[in-house]
Amino acid sequence: MKSLTHQMILASAGSGKTYALTNRFVQLLAGGAPPERIVALTFTRKAAGEFFDEILNKLARAASDVAEAKRIAAEIGEPHLGPADFLKLLRGMTAAMHRLALGTLDGFFGRVVRAFPLELGLGGEFEILQEHGARRERQRVLRELFSRPNGELDDAQREFVEAFKRATFGAEEKRLAARLDHFIDLHQNLYLDAPEGAAWGQAARIWPEGSLWLEGGGDAKGAAQVLRRWAEGACTNEKQRARWDDFVAAFEAWSPGAMLPDPLLYVLEKAVEAWDELIEGAAELIIERKKQAVPAEPCAALVALTRTVFAGELKRRLEMTQGIHTVLRGYETVYHQLVRRAGKLTFADVQRLLMPELGAPRLVSGVEARDDGDADYDLAEARLAVDWRLDAKFDHWLLDEFQDTSRGQWSVLRNLIDEVVQDPEARRSLFYVGDVKQAIYAWRGGDPRLFREIFNHYNESAPGTLAEGRLDQSWRSGPVIVSAVNRVFGDAEALVARVPGPTAQRWTSEWRDHESARPQLAGQVAWLYGENDEARAALVLQLLDEIKPLERGLSVAVLVQSNESATWLADYLRREGGMAAVAASDLHVGTDNPLTTVVLALLQAAAHPGDRLAREQVRMSPLAAALEAAGWGRAEALTEGLLKQVHAEGFARTVDTWLRRLEAVLAADDGFSRERARQLAAAAQLFDETGSRDVAEFVQFAGRHVVRDAETAAVVQVMTIHKSKGLGFDVVLLPDLEGNSLSTRRREGLAIQRAADRSVEWVMDLPAKLFHEHDPVLAAHVAEAEAEAAYEKLCLFYVAMTRAKRALYLITKPVSGKSKSDNFPRLLAETLGTAGVGGDIGVGKWRGAGAYADGAADWFEASAIVSDGVAETSVESGIEVLVTAEPVVRHAARTPSGTKAGVVSGAVLFGESTAVAASFGTEVHAALAAVEWGGFSPEVLAAWQAAGMGEAVVAEARGCLESAAVEEVFACYPGAEVWRERAFEVVFDGAWITGIFDRVVVMRDLAGRAVEATIYDFKTDRLDAGGVEKTVGRYAGQLEIYRQAVARLTGLGVGQIRCALVLTALRLVVPVKAMGAD
Amino acid sequence: MPSPRLHVLPWNQPLVSAVVTWLAGDWSGAAALDLADQLVVVPTRQAGRRLREALATHAAARNQAVFPPRVFMPEQLVASAAPTGTTVASRAEFLLAWAEVLRSADLATLRAVFPVDPPARSFAWASRLAREFVRLQATLAEGGLRMGDVVTRAGEAFPEADRWVQLGELEAACEAVLAARGLCDPQAAKIAFAAAPLPPPGIHRIVLAGSPDPLPLAVRVLGAYAEAGLPVVVLAAGDSADSFDTWGHPNPAFWATQPLAWPDFEQRVRLCADPSAQAELIVDCARGYGDTPGGCLGVGVADAEVLPSLENGLARAEVPAFNPEGRPLRSSALHTLLTALGELVGDEPSFAAVAALLRCPDVLTWLGGSPSQLLSSLDDLHTEHLPATLSAARTLAENAPVDPLRAAQRAALLSALTAVSRLRTTLRAGQFPSNVRRVLTEIFKNRRFNLAVPEDALAVEAAQGWGEVLAELEAAVKRFPGLASSEVWELALRAFGDSQRFDEKPAGAVELQGWLELLWDDVPHLIVAGFNDGCVPDAVVGDPFLPESLRGRLGLKTNAGRFARDAYLLHALAAARADGRGRLDLLVGKTSAAGDPLRPSRLLLQCADADLPERVRFLFSPVAAARPAPAWRRAWKLAPRTDAKIEKLSVTAFRDHLKCPFRFYLKHGLKMSAVDPHKAELDAMDFGNLCHGALEAMGQPDSPVRDCTDAGVLRGFLLGELERSARERYGDTPILPLVVQLESARQRLAKVAEIQAQQRAEGWVIERTEMKFEINFGGLPVRGKIDRIDRNELTGAVRVLDYKTSDQPVNPANAHTRSLKRSEDVAALPEYARFVTADGEESVWIDLQLPLYLEAVAEEFGHAVSCGYFNLPKASGETGIAVWGGYDGELQAAARRCAEGVVAAVQARMFWPPSEDVPAEWDDFAGLFFNGAEASVEWTPVEPQRDAPVMPDEEAVV
Ligand code: SF4
Repeated sequence: MKSLTHQMILASAGSGKTYALTNRFVQLLAGGAPPERIVALTFTRKAAGEFFDEILNKLARAASDVAEAKRIAAEIGEPHLGPADFLKLLRGMTAAMHRLALGTLDGFFGRVVRAFPLELGLGGEFEILQEHGARRERQRVLRELFSRPNGELDDAQREFVEAFKRATFGAEEKRLAARLDHFIDLHQNLYLDAPEGAAWGQAARIWPEGSLWLEGGGDAKGAAQVLRRWAEGACTNEKQRARWDDFVAAFEAWSPGAMLPDPLLYVLEKAVEAWDELIEGAAELIIERKKQAVPAEPCAALVALTRTVFAGELKRRLEMTQGIHTVLRGYETVYHQLVRRAGKLTFADVQRLLMPELGAPRLVSGVEARDDGDADYDLAEARLAVDWRLDAKFDHWLLDEFQDTSRGQWSVLRNLIDEVVQDPEARRSLFYVGDVKQAIYAWRGGDPRLFREIFNHYNESAPGTLAEGRLDQSWRSGPVIVSAVNRVFGDAEALVARVPGPTAQRWTSEWRDHESARPQLAGQVAWLYGENDEARAALVLQLLDEIKPLERGLSVAVLVQSNESATWLADYLRREGGMAAVAASDLHVGTDNPLTTVVLALLQAAAHPGDRLAREQVRMSPLAAALEAAGWGRAEALTEGLLKQVHAEGFARTVDTWLRRLEAVLAADDGFSRERARQLAAAAQLFDETGSRDVAEFVQFAGRHVVRDAETAAVVQVMTIHKSKGLGFDVVLLPDLEGNSLSTRRREGLAIQRAADRSVEWVMDLPAKLFHEHDPVLAAHVAEAEAEAAYEKLCLFYVAMTRAKRALYLITKPVSGKSKSDNFPRLLAETLGTAGVGGDIGVGKWRGAGAYADGAADWFEASAIVSDGVAETSVESGIEVLVTAEPVVRHAARTPSGTKAGVVSGAVLFGESTAVAASFGTEVHAALAAVEWGGFSPEVLAAWQAAGMGEAVVAEARGCLESAAVEEVFACYPGAEVWRERAFEVVFDGAWITGIFDRVVVMRDLAGRAVEATIYDFKTDRLDAGGVEKTVGRYAGQLEIYRQAVARLTGLGVGQIRCALVLTALRLVVPVKAMGAD
Repeated sequence: MPSPRLHVLPWNQPLVSAVVTWLAGDWSGAAALDLADQLVVVPTRQAGRRLREALATHAAARNQAVFPPRVFMPEQLVASAAPTGTTVASRAEFLLAWAEVLRSADLATLRAVFPVDPPARSFAWASRLAREFVRLQATLAEGGLRMGDVVTRAGEAFPEADRWVQLGELEAACEAVLAARGLCDPQAAKIAFAAAPLPPPGIHRIVLAGSPDPLPLAVRVLGAYAEAGLPVVVLAAGDSADSFDTWGHPNPAFWATQPLAWPDFEQRVRLCADPSAQAELIVDCARGYGDTPGGCLGVGVADAEVLPSLENGLARAEVPAFNPEGRPLRSSALHTLLTALGELVGDEPSFAAVAALLRCPDVLTWLGGSPSQLLSSLDDLHTEHLPATLSAARTLAENAPVDPLRAAQRAALLSALTAVSRLRTTLRAGQFPSNVRRVLTEIFKNRRFNLAVPEDALAVEAAQGWGEVLAELEAAVKRFPGLASSEVWELALRAFGDSQRFDEKPAGAVELQGWLELLWDDVPHLIVAGFNDGCVPDAVVGDPFLPESLRGRLGLKTNAGRFARDAYLLHALAAARADGRGRLDLLVGKTSAAGDPLRPSRLLLQCADADLPERVRFLFSPVAAARPAPAWRRAWKLAPRTDAKIEKLSVTAFRDHLKCPFRFYLKHGLKMSAVDPHKAELDAMDFGNLCHGALEAMGQPDSPVRDCTDAGVLRGFLLGELERSARERYGDTPILPLVVQLESARQRLAKVAEIQAQQRAEGWVIERTEMKFEINFGGLPVRGKIDRIDRNELTGAVRVLDYKTSDQPVNPANAHTRSLKRSEDVAALPEYARFVTADGEESVWIDLQLPLYLEAVAEEFGHAVSCGYFNLPKASGETGIAVWGGYDGELQAAARRCAEGVVAAVQARMFWPPSEDVPAEWDDFAGLFFNGAEASVEWTPVEPQRDAPVMPDEEAVV
């Protein structure tokens, strides 16, 4: 294998990233790398699947087409390769399919952890928790945390309650469970990243140089008096005086945690604005629109009050943050105990297990000797040799969408990749590709900065180690689109004006103008106006009506910012336009329609009969009639009947039964409700896999269950921009570009300051604007967070605009010249201009108001209308029925004893005696089968004892053999042949019967022909007096079958065969007549 | 080893017929077909069944019957040879021995196995790992190996030698633990047997039939028999002997290269989007075969994920189906019941556990009475008292006050809870498993199971399965005493859940079988679903103990071996159905149910090089989903009864009516309210009630603090009262959230004490608390309860106060009225709800609580009464009295007009149309409405019947 360069590729949108990756893969194969030694990782399973399909298809094309082979050969720098070579590579790939390391990062990590459970401190095998499972576990943990099995609160619980009070300081919370659930949602991952309390709300960490505010203001009461006194005389008018009075009064009534009342806020804002002067002891404040000079004493007093408020608020926030930490720790402790230790992990847990900074051993590719029996085995020093356990050595790494890789993920891979990059023989390679302009997953931990850092890191120690490649030519978008994208995102000046400086700089430093690789591709970009949501939706519909993309065989997507908008808009298009539109977003199929909700209500009403909401809901629906028909009209019958059904059959069957009963009520053409019925049944099937029969849990599960509309080509796809990443469409419409300022940071949750290596430096519940604005540390944090947010927003809109191949329609509210908002339409206005304001813009024959247009209004005319626009339904043809072949005979299977009907009482069924009786019966049978002819003898006894038979068994069998009544059974006659415990198979009356005779004596004549036979069947039942007749009745059917079987096996007539039951307990032989005989 | 005789059967007919023909040999048909002295080894239980049926059918064609051969599965050939004086450990005993070893081992000396200490050396950990080790041993034993043998067998340069040495030590320790109890390791016993096997008596020939992948240890046994002179014949279907070794294993070198050259490949192999698409294809096809498709169609399910969709799909289409593999008893009703019972065994059982038990149908039946009343009273207890445990529930059910109307239900609940406690006592006392049996016989004492009823037959089967588990555990527990009951339950439940029950095969059913069963199926049309990589052949990739390379070194089953076996099977299935004798369809899934991409089986890529690119293109092309999503559509409108009577109103109902008359009707007419089974803490109303209790006591005429002006004393009183009523309502050990909520209530009341002291000092005396009243409005009684009436002893002023415990303080004016929005459609508002304020602002009533209170007190206290809220919000600084400023006679008159208007509307039954402005998160009925409330409901007014009961029939659902 020849040596390969390590490469970093910065690939702009549409520039053929997948193409580059597959080429790299093929190049590695062509260079002689065994396919299983190439690791190719990406983020979604779907992308991984497509990547794999694409490699195979590429090889297949090259293997069957000379020109294609030549092209690819040239591209990968192996021009001598021809179809035959590619065929060989293809064969190699398919043969190694099961061993390939080609998938997602999560999957790869899971594989590693699965191979090293004991090394990673797991107690053996583990299971990956999916969403429902995770939720269930959380509920279980909370229940455990809340329970007080021994009455008293234990220490941990006391601490927990205290911490909770701190966490909600000043607003003592009356809901714990709900609040806690929220805490966990928001902060659990953060806690796991930084479990140590040292980072949480610790002043020394946040303000290592000391804080401006925390010390407080000293004697606040005195200061208040001073101010009050001063204000009395110093105010020029009543209003001013009132301001100061109210201020002081509000201050005195205020305690940390309460909202800052307006009178307090008013003066505080003035105070911090004039802070330096206040400190100097001479300030001028504008109170009630009049300047007011504040001399030294009141200055000092105001400083003191301000400091008191600031200190109070900041301390409260620190306290709360610490409280949150302790609460999370309390939860996590129980969670860890109950869930992770029991081998239930989330993907995030799996990743954490492997992170060296959390103490995980490093992954290495070669086995190293281990110091055995070393009691101080240090996990962090340890190495896990992946090649042995995973049966593969990883020589080549291909990492896709690298901008979305998190520090944590990188830390896991890093050691393995270091080995590769530092391989002295340079036979191994690294290749990573992505686009820092499409980093829209930063909020999930993706860190686009890694891209450059890694590059610099490897090249620092050995310059030239990693080569940088750029792909800025778009194979996706036509020239008008590329031009618009360049104008919007390449305008450094406009960006500087609209986003924080560092953001603009960061963006611009990696920016290169794009180029269209398809200059001939005709299309249009237009920015159109729609006043509100409804108007914009209507405009989308009009444009689609005009362009008729589906009819022309053009793909089309409408991209929005949230799942809710996607669902709403898709439905709007279907409803108002009769359009085939699907929302590639989550649909709550259990609760978004009358049909499935009423089935859930039925379950709820059955399990919780006091729920009159559910019950009445059922009653006012067509389900009422179905219930009546089932005889379940009364609550008692419903509860009993439905719970039985659920417990016996599970939810899928139960739900299905009721959905089917409702099917008759649906309109014949109501495909929607039928689809929902199917989806609910599928959800129930999923739930059944948990084994739970808890109705409330199922109802909750079904309420949360979401599905996506099926992806089909010939429909209008409505989806979030996030989801559109990686996709391209001929026509893209963007009707949801409004929103806050580009630099609006995420407000939910705690402020997290990260160090350069992204480790958590400090965490704080950020105080309100007044406070953080005037604290340098907090202000710097906020500025940074805003810059991050702005970068991510730019990425988002970049992704949105670059999805378009031919035509792109931006639809927003008109941007007025006066607008101060720094939102995206504002950036559009500045970069694309608003020359067309109010002007008519044409799309085909449609005309309307907008700001910008480029390209041909009738661009789509070139694509002829080829279909009526309705998506082709039912692509699959069914499997034909085979008419030619003879069916095989399948008999109903029976065993003679299976024909025994009867009634068993619960007491007997679950009682002690059943188990004993069963084994006793079997042993007595065995004992009697051991006897060929004759009665009891010492030899027989010896045989029984040798077989280890119990005393009771021996006594029973012996008693039987020695009894005069039973003597005939074992008596030997000349010509007699005996079958003992003999199996038989026979078919009659269309049934296949399998059985075992206890004992059959066949009399044969001299020619060996059977002349007569007797069937003995041993029964060890304990009988009451007078039970004989009943017993005979019970076994009559069974004996009849024996009789028929013997007739077949011997050639005798049924009349020549006698049957008898041998009742071992009673020592009785009871003849049983043939059925139908007298 | 003397080789057995390999006999190649023709494969252009079903294997089972070929085997039957061969076995019957020259049988004349004159007498029974007697094969009793032969032993036939077949790969699976189902194969044995097929063989016996085919033999019976064969004989029946000549009107004869069969003495069948003994039919074994390979594992049955390997009996156990226990060292003298020992018996073979049961699975439970084996697991317990391992668990004991793992819990007591000195891990410091086993660092190659346990580099780090496990999370906790609990029984749960030990038994989990024990299961893994038992499985590992079983895998090794297939090849006749023990853990301790691995190092010597793994050969040179074995990187994990130390680890396996230590595993061997653990294994030896486990054997020692067993031996000390007179037991032996079951795997060791098998290996010992295979070393010197004893042939079963009365057998004169052994036939290994149609088993391409027999257990290696079984082959070793057969080899020994052959050596001892017992004839052993191997039957393999194929077209040449070279493609097998003497034991009928497909020859890997041969099969790995055998092309799958079907001319109609692209018709036989179908890509399907997902499991349900596969199921749908099969269901459609099965329906085409009429009522009894089983003789024509067979289904192989290679990917188990397809099975649930398929079974449900067939059931929905009413196509009979049969899964010979059976299903685990985990899905039985008995398992659910036992799981719930198991929860009673350990520490004080949680209320949730009790509720789960009471919802088991068998328990409801046992308890007798009305199941719906019992469960609703159980929910009531939960909603009102939030008991944490069984004993808390019992105490509360016994002592907490209850509405007299529900007293009987509560008593029934108490006796049910007591019965559960008794079960618990029984379970915790006495010897396992007789205590368990006692409990079950108690629960089922009145039940009769009729074997002719399929449901009952299933229940009986499950019960028998449980009986077996108990018997095994009984013996095990005797040998391993000292286990906690919960540990025994854990073992028992798992064993029970894992055991299989087998359905009766319905007549004409389509059989749904695993991939390895298909060779023995003779149906003409076979469809195999889930023909994906990883399923066919199944592959092991990465393993904590036995990675592929080690398997290879040890001579265990490898991926290559599996590939050869499955390639052979695929060819054989096709060959038997070639040339118009039948048909084989393979379904390849494109994604899993969760949407993960799947790959087609590698077997499908077995083809000539020239065909490979085309095949790849075919198999790796995208699949379009079957149908586009239909537009949202309303299945039906809800048609509520419109005749529910409303004969009295509560003061609070006015607010509801003003908000939305239809929702008012649902709440006050149909009395619709939900039960929250997941309630885990006090809701706003509970919280308010809790505070109210203490506040009421403070103002009672006989209250010692009615005139108190010392905040400290007042606080003491209020907190004492709070404590008392909280105990009464929530018991002595409330769950943790309640502790927090009580704390919150305490803080709020403490602040109230301060304010109250001030108020009293200012002359305000509490005249009344919780004053009930009823006034008549236009013929309807209106009822309410006033929290508190104060009179100022200095000024004589009177005021009416209502306590508010919402998080934010409430301003009375804002709570009762709002100003008309500029954009609002005035016509949509009822006339009576509108009024103009003194300063000329157009306003709307949203609540009438305080005005109605004033109305009620007018007679006694006159009209000069003021009103307001006593706010107890979460920020204690905001606690205080908010009087409705500017409330005057005019406002009162407007309020009265509004009240009369509401009453008139109620009497005129004007409940329609609903408001569309209720935000979903504040709408109790949001779940009924889709795309608008009015559009969701069919409203056909009916006059209520004169003599209809006031309350709708409690028990009727429809
Ligand atoms: S005011 Fe003083 S004396 Fe009167 S009740 Fe209160 S504490 Fe007792």
